[in-house]
Amino acid sequence: MPDEDKTDQTTSFSEDETRRMERVLDDTEYDTELGVEMAKDAQRVAAGELGEAEFYRQYHEDILEEFGEDDRELNGLLDDVGNVDAGDGEGVGDKLQALADEKDLSRREVMKKGGAAVAALSIFASAGENRAASAEGEGGDEYDGTRWGMTINLNNCDGCLACMVACDQEHKLSGGANWMYVFTYEDDHQDDENFLVRPCQHCTDSPCTKVCPVGARHTREQDGLVLTDYEICIGCRYCEVSCPYGVNYFQWGEPDHPQSEIPESQSQDERGRWVGARPPEGVMGKCTFCVDRQDGKMGDDKIGTTACEEACAMDAIHFGDLNDPESAPNTHLEQYKDEQENDMTFQNRKEHTVSTFQLMEERGTDPNVRYVGNEPSQDAEQVEGPVSYEDVGLVDDRKEEVLDNGAMANQEGGEEA
Amino acid sequence: MSTDVGRETLTRPIQAPSKRYVGALLAALAGIGVWLFFYYQQLSNGLIVTNLADWGSGGGVPWGLYIGAFIWWVGIAHGGIILSAAVRLLGMDTYQPVARMAELLTIAALTCAGLYIMIHVGRPDRLVTSVVPAWPTRVQWSPLMWDVTVITAYFVLTATYLLLTIRYDIHRLRDRLPDTFEPLYKALMLGYSEKEDQVVERMVWWLAFAIIIMAPLLLHGGVIPWLFALLPSMAGWAGGVQGPSFLSIALTSAVSGIIIIAAAFRYVYDWEELIPDQVFYGLSKWLGFFALLFLWLQLQQVMTGIFAAPTTLQHATEVKLSTPVYWVAIGLVGLGLLYIFASALKASLFSIPRIVAVSFLVLVGTLIEKTLFVVEGLQHAHFALYDGVPGHYIPSPVELSSILGAVGIVVLFFLVVSKVIPVVELHAIQDHHDDAEATEVSD
Repeated sequence: MPDEDKTDQTTSFSEDETRRMERVLDDTEYDTELGVEMAKDAQRVAAGELGEAEFYRQYHEDILEEFGEDDRELNGLLDDVGNVDAGDGEGVGDKLQALADEKDLSRREVMKKGGAAVAALSIFASAGENRAASAEGEGGDEYDGTRWGMTINLNNCDGCLACMVACDQEHKLSGGANWMYVFTYEDDHQDDENFLVRPCQHCTDSPCTKVCPVGARHTREQDGLVLTDYEICIGCRYCEVSCPYGVNYFQWGEPDHPQSEIPESQSQDERGRWVGARPPEGVMGKCTFCVDRQDGKMGDDKIGTTACEEACAMDAIHFGDLNDPESAPNTHLEQYKDEQENDMTFQNRKEHTVSTFQLMEERGTDPNVRYVGNEPSQDAEQVEGPVSYEDVGLVDDRKEEVLDNGAMANQEGGEEA
Repeated sequence: MSTDVGRETLTRPIQAPSKRYVGALLAALAGIGVWLFFYYQQLSNGLIVTNLADWGSGGGVPWGLYIGAFIWWVGIAHGGIILSAAVRLLGMDTYQPVARMAELLTIAALTCAGLYIMIHVGRPDRLVTSVVPAWPTRVQWSPLMWDVTVITAYFVLTATYLLLTIRYDIHRLRDRLPDTFEPLYKALMLGYSEKEDQVVERMVWWLAFAIIIMAPLLLHGGVIPWLFALLPSMAGWAGGVQGPSFLSIALTSAVSGIIIIAAAFRYVYDWEELIPDQVFYGLSKWLGFFALLFLWLQLQQVMTGIFAAPTTLQHATEVKLSTPVYWVAIGLVGLGLLYIFASALKASLFSIPRIVAVSFLVLVGTLIEKTLFVVEGLQHAHFALYDGVPGHYIPSPVELSSILGAVGIVVLFFLVVSKVIPVVELHAIQDHHDDAEATEVSD
């Protein structure tokens, strides 16, 4: 179902930020609700909408109740907050950072010690001031205000499969592991052939990260990428089973490309975790939104780009920071809307005629991929496209074409051994 | 006098192995051997030797027989201990002769369930290194971690239960037990005095109480079905009926398992007196009752799935109904149910070989149903645009051999354990004493 306006949001208290906040707070032993409320108000303080003295008065009692009177760090912090002049330019975040420096603690430790309130203050204060604290060489795992995502304009797609090929080559995928997948389909109420371009949706509320028993599938806090730690994954495939979109591809046998073909810079992300390129045997893989590019491992000019986006000659794929109004996914959408003007002589019309949607929005996963075009209905049927997978050297039915043969070949090998 | 005869009867399996015993041992080892041969291939080549594949564009299912069998074994494990706990809590003394076998079955079946998790995952070597460190943070999120937790707790409870009750028997039967295992008995009897019997009685009662609450509410009526019921992506899985449905299947399988094992011991060791017909007759009624629940819950799912269901659920249900092997599963359980009803009406129809055959067929039926549930659930995702959905799946020889291996492990377990400890509680013949005398008189 097309939803025209929902995808335009870039406001500060968006649901995913609140959810992110709740996730952090749930890991602490303190009151989540209080933390979130404080965090929101802290941001209002930072934005100058709420006086800091007022903020202090409002939460003093709650804080005492929740954390006890003896928490000197917290009281100290709140005193500081209370004493800061509105005009001196110092925000809550600076105070926090100062506190962290003084005690020689990492921001993470401060969050743990101070519990919910400090965690809330820390994250939201810095977000409010638009400071990317952890991006500055710390290699940390805290939200830096980036939310990588895509706008995919299906009206532009011509089904050439160049994006699939580029993805396959860049990540050294095994046959049939189509991290990027392009459907050609026919639908009851749409003319001719239609396309649906399907990378991983990098959901804000991703089922796969929830169900992972070992935390291998995780959301990278700093920028919302949904990644798999190949060194932790036990290969239970629960993420694959829980994903509504079928974007996961398990490494059933030996990978087609040995690890020696993959430079370490492509495998390790900036936190030093092995999450990039194809997975090793026995482990789950899927689209990473080219995490190596985002970490600057392929050069600064590749940050904010993906292999599929680069390969797309039709200007269908637009990757970038959804929180940045100037980013490719946001500007493309705006421009495209401007080009599709509506006849405003009729009342109550929108200014444009662009239909947008998130894939299976009703699943509640809040994907970071948004589409321009029409969503396939339940009656849609996949048909052969203008360019076949075979033509470009790709495999569609991995089971029939790769695994079944591979299993036989491997069995023979096993018997010899 | 009769108690003495009873004790002789009770320790009969512990005497020197018969030819039949050796035969059974070899068969069990052969089964395990076949599976190990195939499993070696899986270890050296990866899961590519199974017929599993990715759902979606991959055209297959990522979960198959391994997960189906995992659920099935946990189900069998259930009933064992539930039955034993019921004997203790509700005073169902009739079933006392099979209570310990049921407990042992729980231990063996849980071991097999664990084994299936091990062979299902792509990196079994990481089961400890990844799972243990992740536990504190993941247990609040992942249903799979809930499973690991509850099954471990259940295993510990059952093992403790068994250990506590064994001490009483070993102490009293020590003179009849082989000296070869003296160090083991010493370890088992560490710090024993007869004064503990009463305390242990209370402890065991509470353990039984915990088990009987935990098993239906948390295990097979809880975390196992929740693995599936909580995932809205797959139409055939999501929903509140899975808890009751899984539990009914578990209990059906479990009673079948106990019937088969009890009948095997009775047959081999001439235990007609120790495990009288009445026990089997009673168990068969329970089997009938649970099978009825199982079929009734299937009916619930079918009706809600086809009348005016959402498109994907309707599709999943229609495909299920048009799958012949689904009707094989339902048919096997249905036929078993018919036989049990008929023999309840006309007792002369009842015989132990027949109820054993029924139990065997029911177990085949429940294994098929569980595997089909896993596979078909995956084949009908809400996102049905892929040409590869529904994919097809037939277990590979590697996967099928695991059934042989797991059954071999259970048989081996019973063969070994029965040589070391009495598989029937001493309480059974003590309580049974009066009945036994009565039978002897009638003989």
